[in-house]
This record gives sequence, C-alpha cells and structure tokens, in this order.
Amino acid sequence: MRAVLIDDEISNLENLQALLKKHCPQVTIIATAQNVSDGVNVIEKYLPDLLFLDIQMGDQTGFEVLKLLPTRNFEVIFVTAYDQYGIQAVKFAALDYLLKPVDIEELKDAVNKADRKLATQTASQLDFLLQQLKKPETNASKIALQMQSEIRYVTLSEIVRCEADNTYTHFFLTGNEKILVSKSLKEYADLLRPNGFLRTHQSHLVNPKYVKSWLKEDGGILLLITGEKIPISKPNKETVKKALQQL
Amino acid sequence: MCVDSSAKNVYYANVFPNQPNTSFSYLPEVNQVSIQINFRKHIQIQRFRYTIISDNKPLVVNQPINEAQLKDTHAGGDEEIFRSTTLGAFPVKGKIITVLVYSIEKPLDIEKSVLYGKPIPKAEIKALLKRFATDKGVSYSPITDPKERTKLTFTEKDDELTIVKDKSDIDYLYYTSIKDKQSNKIIFESTAWQYGGYVTETNEFSPYLKIDKNIFKKSGDYEIIIQPSSLSRYNMPPKEMEKYTVRYTLAITLDQENYSKRELLIYAVVVALSIGLAFLVILYFIKKRNKKKLLENEQQKNTAKLQLNSIRSQLNPHFMFNALSGIQNLMNKNDIDNANQYLAKFARLTRNVLDDKELISLSQEKKLLDDYLQMEQLRFGFKYEIKHAEGPDLDITEIPAMLLQPFVENAVKHGISKRAADGKITITFARQKNDLVLTVNDNGNGFDTGKKNNGLGLQLSNSRIALLNDIYKENRFTLAIQSSQKGTEISLTLTDWL
Repeated sequence: MRAVLIDDEISNLENLQALLKKHCPQVTIIATAQNVSDGVNVIEKYLPDLLFLDIQMGDQTGFEVLKLLPTRNFEVIFVTAYDQYGIQAVKFAALDYLLKPVDIEELKDAVNKADRKLATQTASQLDFLLQQLKKPETNASKIALQMQSEIRYVTLSEIVRCEADNTYTHFFLTGNEKILVSKSLKEYADLLRPNGFLRTHQSHLVNPKYVKSWLKEDGGILLLITGEKIPISKPNKETVKKALQQL
Repeated sequence: MCVDSSAKNVYYANVFPNQPNTSFSYLPEVNQVSIQINFRKHIQIQRFRYTIISDNKPLVVNQPINEAQLKDTHAGGDEEIFRSTTLGAFPVKGKIITVLVYSIEKPLDIEKSVLYGKPIPKAEIKALLKRFATDKGVSYSPITDPKERTKLTFTEKDDELTIVKDKSDIDYLYYTSIKDKQSNKIIFESTAWQYGGYVTETNEFSPYLKIDKNIFKKSGDYEIIIQPSSLSRYNMPPKEMEKYTVRYTLAITLDQENYSKRELLIYAVVVALSIGLAFLVILYFIKKRNKKKLLENEQQKNTAKLQLNSIRSQLNPHFMFNALSGIQNLMNKNDIDNANQYLAKFARLTRNVLDDKELISLSQEKKLLDDYLQMEQLRFGFKYEIKHAEGPDLDITEIPAMLLQPFVENAVKHGISKRAADGKITITFARQKNDLVLTVNDNGNGFDTGKKNNGLGLQLSNSRIALLNDIYKENRFTLAIQSSQKGTEISLTLTDWL
C-alpha cells in the first residue's frame, strides 16, 4: 500500500515512518506533509492507497484536507493526540483512528483492516464524516455501522435497542431487522448516550423512544413497544428512571 | 359682753379648728369689759358654773349663776327672750380675759370665751424642716429660725415640709397660707396646727403644719403667710391686717439637677448599657457577617482555585500526548539518551501539572518552562530564551504555579509552530518598581487581538487572570497582549508583587 502521512509535527512523522517501516512492511511511504495545503497537494499528486491523517494541526484540522479533495479514493487512518470532538465524529463514521503515542498492535490492526477494505466504502464513510462535522456536536442523526462486508448508515431513530454479544454488538432496528457489528456495546453506549440512549444493563442499550412501560417484575424491566422485555440492572435503575421521567 | 366707749374696733370670731365652743374677741383698744351671760329660757341655769381667768390668774372659779340677778332680755336685739345676768366688769387692756362656762352635768363641755385685750402677736416660724427618705425610713433636715427669705432645695428624697410656729395661747387663731409668687395663687391653706414632735425651751409643744412637697410644682419663690384668721372676715382692713401678718419667702429649688443627676445617672447607666448591648449585638453581627464574608471569600477563593486547577489541567492533553509521541520517536530512532532525557522532562512537567502547589519560585517556573519548551522543541524546531534581569530573586520570588506555561504554550502553538527553525520565543522576568512583569514574546504571525474568539487558549488565559485576581485581591494581575504580523508579546504584570 502506498501511503501518505500528514502531521504538522516532524517528530510524529518520523515516528510513524519508523513504526510503519518496522511493523507494517506492506506499507510504502510515498510522501509526507506538515500542513493542510501540502497535504492536499501530495495526495492529488501521488494518489495514495492509504492516508495517515493527523486531526489537530496547529490552527487547522486534518478534516480540511479531506474537504478540499474532490475525490477520496483511499483508506484513511486518523492519528490524534487528544481530540474528543474529532474522534467522536470519526467513530460515528465507523472510521479507523490511532491515538498518540501510537500503539504498535493498533497500528498493525488498522493497517490490516485498511488493506482489506474497499476504497468505495471508505469514500462513502468519509462523505458521511464530513456531513457529520457540519452539524453541531452531539446532534448526530445517523451512525455508520460496520458490518461484515458493508457499511450501513442508520438513522438513530431507527435503532430500537442494542445488545452485547461478547466484543460484538447486535443492533435491533425497526421492522425486526437485526445487524451484527464488530464493535463492543461499550463503544456504542459512549457514542449514543449523548443522544439519549439508555444503558439499562451491561448488555443492553435502549432507545427511550421505544420504551412502552416499566414493569416492576424481577426488580424492574423495561417493556418495549416491540414487546421485548429488557432487564434493568440495579446500578442503572436510578439513572434510567430519571431519564424516563424527563421524557 | 359689753365694751366701754374707748373701743374702736372689736373683732369677734367663733370658728376654729378643734376648738369647739370657743369664741374669740379681739378688743385692742378696750379698757373695761362687762361680761353678760344669756341663757335660753328652758335651760336649768342652776346647773351652770363659770370661771373667769385674767391672763393666767383666776378671778372667779366655779361660781354658780346668781339666779336672783337674772332678767329677761332680748340679747343682741333678738326676738327671743333670754334670761341674762352680768358676770361682772373686768379690766381687759393688756390682759386676756377668759370666761369658761359649763354645766355640772357635762363639766367637760366648756363654753370658752376669750376676750383679748393685748395686741395679737405676729406669728413666728421657729423652724422649717424637710423630711427625706433614708434607708431606714425618714429623717428631717431642719432650718431653725428661718430668715424672711429662705432658700430651700427639694431633692427627690425630700417629700414633706414642716413649718413649726412659735407657741402661743391662741395658736388656733393663726391661719397659714402659701402663695405661689409667680402665679399669685394660694396653693395651700391650713389652720390645723398639730402638736407633738416639737418642743419649746419651756417644754411646751410647738404647733406645726405638714406640707406635701408636691404642692411646689416648680422652682421659684413661694410665700408663707401666717395671720390671725377670721379677723379679716370682720372687715379688718388689709392694711391693719398686715400688722398681724408675717410673710416668709421660700426660694424653692426643686432639685431637678439633683433629681436629674440621679435620673441622669440611671439614664446614663441605662443608655450606656443599651449602647453597650447594641454595640455588642452589632459587633456580634459584624463579626458574624465578617466571618460569613471571610468564609464566602474563602469559598470563593477555593472555587477559584479549583477552577484554576481545572483550567490548568485542560491546557495539557494535546501537548502531553504529542510530547509522548515525540519521545516514542526518539526511541524508535534509537536515540536512547535523548529519550531518557525527554522522558524525565515529561515526568517533571506532568508532576508539576498534577501538583496542587499554589506558588512556585521563579527559578522553578524557569525550570518548568525550560522543560516545557524543550519538549516543544522536540515537536517543532525553534529557538527560545528565558531572560531575567538582576531584579527579582529567582529563588525567593514566588508566583502562582503554571502561570506562564499557558501563554508559552500559546506562543508555541499559534506563534512559532509554523515557522519551524526560524521561530523564536523570548521569556523575560523583570522588575518594574514593585511590580513583577513577565513577558512572553514570539516571532510568529501574530493574531488580531480585537477578535473575540481567539481560540480556547486565550480564553482560558483570560479566565485564569480573572480567577487569579479573585484569589490575590491585593495584587492585581493585568494581562497586556500586543500582536502584529511580526509576532506577539504578552506581558503579565503582577502589581506590588515584589
């Protein structure tokens, strides 16, 4: 894979180059850039397969590089030191990211994933990401769900509930549709909680829109419109109750 | 009674307090007086006896009426016919003839007639006595033989004035009145002499009158007038009357001074106590309020400190992780020595951020900035310099921890990060009189200081300054920012810090 690295800090570029050389031999670094405009230039010039993109670059962001490109036919791995908002958006788009200092295993995983992925899919995810970024924080209405072989863009109101299955998560959508996503429920709970989703249980995340009633049996159970019964674990009882009262 | 022809004035009276059946005739110019006695017809005359005394010498004692001499008369021109006889004629000039008539059935029921041939003496006040309350009861303070004008002071303790008159045979005759000379009104009159407490040199009881102090409503002159009563009723002309009248003037001071002195004392004590109490209450409240204020201040300070801490820690994550990334790079480059060095610097910085220390010395701050800037140098190639004049003693002078770091971070991030090796940051610690002036200068592209949203960094810096001003109320922190395309200089002045 021919890769371009964009980061405003030279040491970060050096570091990533060194790590890639050592641990990801399938990656060839064809160019680096230290700011947005250089980044756009090298991408347009070299048309890489893979882009390592720093999110925070001085006063600008890596997202601006993406915005400025007419076509985005490459895989992207975001690299960031600390950027909660940016990462949130990246997660909603189900795109990959690395945190600095870079963990070698995560780097290898990300590169391997990118290697297997279809560029068209990534392009649509990037479109989605740029759309999301236009909106104010926590006001996402859609989320990208990475399935086995495709990406599903799901409106949040379509999601009835999520259920953990080891490191996977089942999404139960309206119309009895069920999607299995290869990320943990914890990750989705973090993403969707700001949108009002309720973590009723270690294994359950519920869209309050679909709650029909609170059943007192077994120390509290949520009855959904779909007829499903979702357990509420003790530690979550109070927060769930409060949240439901505020609706 | 019949008087001789030399009588010019005869004054007669027969009403006296405590002196029943007494008649008094004043016969100043009469030489001889013939005494006639008249009985109503139905009275059994043989039961009556009479005694006639001239001065203190009895002329006739217990003599029955000579019934043979009784004749029917119209005594005094009345239509009623009385049985009358003459008891005799007696010289009265210069004498007092007293006739006592009584029935042997009621020998104590004596009809007494006084024929006064002497000039009636003027009364004399022998003493004036004030009665005053003591712990045990009452006591008297006398003024004996008072002059015609006597000053008298009534204090609050005094309640009564006693007038002691000289003893005479005809005390009952004397009528006492007290006139308020200001209003010319009689405020007291009495003829009721009492006998008891006051004794003359000859062991006789002296007559006295008791007068309530309260009749004297205010300070001023009062006149005690003692004159024979009744005579005026029988038309003794005032001028003539004056011959028998004594007047004493009492210059009375109702001792409002003393009275108020005592009152004042009480008032003063009460007022002092109330003021004292009020003062205590106020003091208590002030103290309470101060305490509350102090507490509030303390709380405010604490909140400010907490906020400061939270802001402080907000400044760092981006830098921290990038710095770690920089160290990772050194490791990956096999630059073990530098990796060690920078890791140590990083540790020191992190420790400083985590540290709750409020104040650090300038030399510590310098070390911190050195560490920080060297870490940043690892990320961006630039030069820096920390200058300090002789003025502030770096080891002694303390400043709030992490004071300059955010500004330096801004200088790196927004100032010189794009200029790489050309970038230069200059930090100066300087003294201006008593102020400590800290400046951070970069040669970056500058920014518009007028713009409101100059990034999170500057916003945080401003709130930091505000919070510091909340905490260090005595020393004002002022932040001045100058920015042009050639660079930016922020200068932070800590007034009266040195």
